[in-house]
Amino acid sequence: MNGEPVSTFQFLGLTFSTANIVAGSVVFLLVVAVIFFTSRKLAMKPTKGQNFLEWLIDFTNGILKGSIPAGDVGKFGLWGFTLFLFLFLSNEIGLFIQVATRSGATIMRSPTSDPIVTLTFSLMTMMLAQFAGVMKLGYKAHFTNYLKPFVFWLPISIFEEFTNFLTLGLRIFGVIFSGEMLLGVIWNLAVSHGIVTMIVALPIEMAWQGFSAFLGAIQAFVFVTLSSVYISQKLEVEG
Amino acid sequence: MLSHLVIGQMLYYGDTIFYVISFVLLMWIIKVLAWGPVTKMMQERADKISNDIDSAEKSRNDAAGLVQKREAALANSRSEAQTIVNTAKTNGQQQREQIVTQAQADVQTLKQNAQKDIEQERQDALSDARNDVADLSIEIASKIIQRELKADDQKALIDSYIEGLGKQHES
Repeated sequence: MNGEPVSTFQFLGLTFSTANIVAGSVVFLLVVAVIFFTSRKLAMKPTKGQNFLEWLIDFTNGILKGSIPAGDVGKFGLWGFTLFLFLFLSNEIGLFIQVATRSGATIMRSPTSDPIVTLTFSLMTMMLAQFAGVMKLGYKAHFTNYLKPFVFWLPISIFEEFTNFLTLGLRIFGVIFSGEMLLGVIWNLAVSHGIVTMIVALPIEMAWQGFSAFLGAIQAFVFVTLSSVYISQKLEVEG
Repeated sequence: MLSHLVIGQMLYYGDTIFYVISFVLLMWIIKVLAWGPVTKMMQERADKISNDIDSAEKSRNDAAGLVQKREAALANSRSEAQTIVNTAKTNGQQQREQIVTQAQADVQTLKQNAQKDIEQERQDALSDARNDVADLSIEIASKIIQRELKADDQKALIDSYIEGLGKQHES
């Protein structure tokens, strides 16, 4: 994809990437559809859809409980659930649907294979962590945490915020982007010499797709886990 | 693609705003559609299960109490039945003895009465026979004395005697 043209458009003086807007909207609608169809007919004795939804809620709550203190998990449950579901579907969708225009610009792929999207989520996590810290501890306790264990730690603490922000966003981007790029490489191999390479490439493509689906799930999980860790760090006064 | 991150190039940071708004909107939709109702339902279920466990514990205790009561009542009725049977046995024993004693006494009385009656009969019969013998002797003697002793007379005497015996017997 490097060096390929990127389809963009201007709106209200801002530049948008067509691929990100299309893919983001598709994932958005997918999440709404999943949530809508699994949450019909809620009952005390859960049926199929409700079982799945409750399992998912328990799962994301479990991730949050791993690091956030028990009393605060309830406040972040919805955030963790939405984040996981959105990232998971974002990671997986590009493995099955890739659309490019005639000029070669991709307009449909995983939203998370673009760093600006992953860094957006990373930034949201960091801001939420700051916000939650101030709400829980107050401004004074929150910002004196940067001076611990001693005052000269301050530059490192501030630097750590940026590295957390970058690594959180770039990790998921790297995995998903490389996964899709390799899918593209295998596709190029498949069409390079007609039917022979097609047959050779097919199992490789399938294997890599399966592995990427697994990696996408892992990355969504890791993103939510690390986010909850960063938030939990802001929720307690350092000793 | 990383080249877009470099400041001054075609950085489409409009996407950031798009994704933030999408995410917040999505959170709101999920909250309204699923999160609120489902977590409420899960909480209700947890409460219900907890209540069920409590009530099950309570009914178990109730059942245990009932069983104890039943067992006590059973033991009580068993001892009562034992008492009743014992009383009945004693009563039966007493009555049996009483009846046997009574019967023995009755038999004794009956036997005595019978012996008395027999003795009486015997005495009566003896005195009757004695009187008859005396009468007969006197009659025979008088007949012998009144008549001569002839063969015919002898015969007539015997006949009359036999006749007299029949009469005597008839009377």
